[in-house]
Amino acid sequence: MSARVRLLIARTLLATAAAASAGCAAMKVEPWDRDLLAEKKMSFTPAPLESAIDDHVYFSKEGSTGGQGVGGGGCGCN
Amino acid sequence: MKRGSPVPAAAFLAAALLFMLAPGAHAAAPPRGAVAPSFNLPTATGSVSLDSLRGKVVLVDFWASWCVPCKSSFPWMTAMHQRYAPKGLAIVAINVDKSRKSAQEFLEKHPAPFIVAYDPDGKTAKAFHVWGMPTSYLIAPDRSILFARSGFDPKHAKDVEAMIAQACAR
Amino acid sequence: MTPPPGATPRRVSPLRARLGAAACLLVAAGARSAAAQLPDSTVAPDTSWNPDSTRAPLAAPAAAYRWQFDGAGLLYSEKGRAKVIEPQARITRLFPDGQTLSATLGLDVITGASPTGAIPTTTVQTTTTPSGNVQTQTANEVPTHPFNDLRTGLDLEWTKPVGGWLTPSLGTHVSMEKDYRSLGGTAKLSVAMMRRLTTLTVGAGYNEDRVDPRGGTRAPLTDGTVLLGTGANPKRVRSALAGVSRVLTRRWLFGVTGSRTTEHGYLTDPYKVISVLDATGAPTSDVVTESRPSSRTRDDVLASSVYHLAQNILYASYRYYWDDWGVRSHTADARYRVELPNQSYLQPHIRYYFQTRANFFQFGLPQGAPLPEFATSDARLGDLRTITLGATYGFHPHAGPGEVTLRAEYLRQWGKGSGGQDGGELEGEAAPAASSGPIDFIPPESIGSIVVGYSVPF
Repeated sequence: MSARVRLLIARTLLATAAAASAGCAAMKVEPWDRDLLAEKKMSFTPAPLESAIDDHVYFSKEGSTGGQGVGGGGCGCN
Repeated sequence: MKRGSPVPAAAFLAAALLFMLAPGAHAAAPPRGAVAPSFNLPTATGSVSLDSLRGKVVLVDFWASWCVPCKSSFPWMTAMHQRYAPKGLAIVAINVDKSRKSAQEFLEKHPAPFIVAYDPDGKTAKAFHVWGMPTSYLIAPDRSILFARSGFDPKHAKDVEAMIAQACAR
Repeated sequence: MTPPPGATPRRVSPLRARLGAAACLLVAAGARSAAAQLPDSTVAPDTSWNPDSTRAPLAAPAAAYRWQFDGAGLLYSEKGRAKVIEPQARITRLFPDGQTLSATLGLDVITGASPTGAIPTTTVQTTTTPSGNVQTQTANEVPTHPFNDLRTGLDLEWTKPVGGWLTPSLGTHVSMEKDYRSLGGTAKLSVAMMRRLTTLTVGAGYNEDRVDPRGGTRAPLTDGTVLLGTGANPKRVRSALAGVSRVLTRRWLFGVTGSRTTEHGYLTDPYKVISVLDATGAPTSDVVTESRPSSRTRDDVLASSVYHLAQNILYASYRYYWDDWGVRSHTADARYRVELPNQSYLQPHIRYYFQTRANFFQFGLPQGAPLPEFATSDARLGDLRTITLGATYGFHPHAGPGEVTLRAEYLRQWGKGSGGQDGGELEGEAAPAASSGPIDFIPPESIGSIVVGYSVPF
C-alpha cells in the first residue's frame, strides 16, 4: 500500500469522523427514543462466543490480527 | 523492517477525539421548585391531565416496555398505590413505547392498578426534560416538583416512600 | 520434496498454530462485547436533584436470571487439508448490580495436513529416509505433511459496572497443546459519557507464550540438522486498544477502535520450510528452515456500524491492518439479520479479505546465492485473498429463553503465486523454465465450516 493510499484512507477516516460529529450536533437521541438501541441484537458483537471462533479461524488462515478487543498471545499462527 | 505509516494512527486519534467531543443529548433535570408541565394524555379508558387530579399528590413515572428497571419499579408503585392512594396519592405511569402493543404486553406481565397514560411521540417526556429511563417526578398539589429521579434502585425505595408519605401528610 | 536427511519426519505447523488464539481471543471477544457496549438506557444512573437526599447510586435492575450458558461447536474442513472440531462452553454468573463472572472452556481437535512452504516440483519425487520410510511427493502439488493435535484452553473474565458510567473488566487465559503453551491476562475499562451516547474503551493485555517445537528448535536458514536447543522458546505479546463508540441516531450505532500489538521472542514457524532453487529457478529437492525477525509490531483500525431498519439489522465493518513485517490487509464484513416469525431469524454474511505480502516473503531461495536475513514461504504471509459466504439461522427450540443458532460458511482463499505466469513472484529470481508450465504455488483453497450454538439464561 503506497503512502498516497494510506494518506487517502487517513483523510477519509477524518472526514467521516468530522461528518459524524457535525451531523451529531443536529441528532440528539432522547432517552425515550432508545427503544431500538435497547435490543440485545443492537451490539457490535451480539454473539461473542461465535465471533471468537470466527476470529480464531481467520487469525490462523491469514496474516492479520486485531479488529477486536485486547488479547494477543496464544497464537502460534502467522 | 519498514515501519507502518504513522498517518493512520494519527487519523484514528483525530477521529476518536472528534467523535468524543461532538455534542450529544443534554437533558438537564428541571430546577428545584419548578412547575410541572401540564399534559393531557390518552389512557386505556379515556384521558388524564394534571387538572383532572386537582388536589392530589401526583407521582409521574415515565416507563417503557424495553426498560429493564421498570420491571422492578412497577411492583413498588403498586405497593405505593395501595398504601397512599387513600391518603391522596395519584400515580400516573406515562408510557413512551412507539407501539401500544409492546406496552400492553408489558402490562400483562406487570399489572398496574394505577393510571397508565400513553405518550408515544415523547412530547410530554420532552416537556418534563426526562433524562433517563425510567424517570419519575413527585408533584405537590400546587403543581411544584418536589423530587425527580432517574433509574430505579430498590435500596433507595424507602427514602422515596418517606417523601411520598411526607407530601401526602401536608 | 524430501525432509532433510537424518531428521525425524517433520510434522508441519498444525492448526493449533492457526487456532492457537482461541482462549485469548475469547477474552478479547468478551472484551470486545464489553468494549462495544451500548449506552445502556435500561440501566440509567439513579440521580436525584432533591438537595435533601444524598445522591443515590446506580439503579440496580432486578435480574431475573442468575446464570447464562453459551455453547458453540465448530466443524471445520479444508478440502484435502486440515479438519478441526472445536467445542466451546461458557458459563456466566450474573449479579443484580450488573457484575458478571464467566469461565470458558475450549477444546481444539485438529487433524489433517498443512503446507510445508516448499513449492511444488514438476516431477514425482520418491525418497527414502534413513529410517527406511519411503515418501512420495506428487508432481505439481503443494507439498504437505500430516499432523494431529489437541489444544485445551480456559478463560476467566470478571466485569463490574461502577458508578453507573464506568465498567472495568479483568480476564485471564491459559491454553496448552503439545508444543505450545500460552498464559496471559487482559484489563479493560469502558467509560460511558454524554448521557451514554458515547462510550470510550481502553484496554491492555499481556501474554507469555512458550513454543517448544517437536524435535528441537532448528537453526534458521539451514537444512534443519542444526539445532539451537531443545528447550522452550519464549514469546511475549503486549497489546493495547482504544476505541470510541457512538449512538448516531435512534437506529445507528457506530464505533472506531484501534489496537497495537507487539510481539517479542520466537516468532518463526518451527515446521515450515523454503525450497532451494536451481539455476533455472525450479525447485530442487533441498529445503531450508525459515527465518523471521524476533519482534513484530502490528497495528489495526476497525470501523464498525450497526444499523436498525424497520425490522432487520445491518452489521458492517471495515478493518485496515499493517505491521512492520510489511503485511497490509483490508477486511470488509457485512451481515444482514432478517427477522422471521416466532422470534427466529436468518442472517446472511459476506466477508472479503485482501492481504499483501510480508517484506521477506519468498517462494524459494536460489542455490548458492547469499542468504537473506529473513525469509519465509508461509502462504499466510504472502499475497492472499479470502472470500467468505455464509448464513446463520437462529431460533428458539422451546418456549423458554434458550436460543439455537446454526451457521454454515464457505471460504475460498487464494494467493498470488504462479510460477512463470505473473512474473516477479519469485522475488527477483528467474521464473521456472517455461517448459515446466505455470505452477500455482498458492492454489485456491476451499474451506467449509459449520457452527452450532446454544445460549440459555437460567
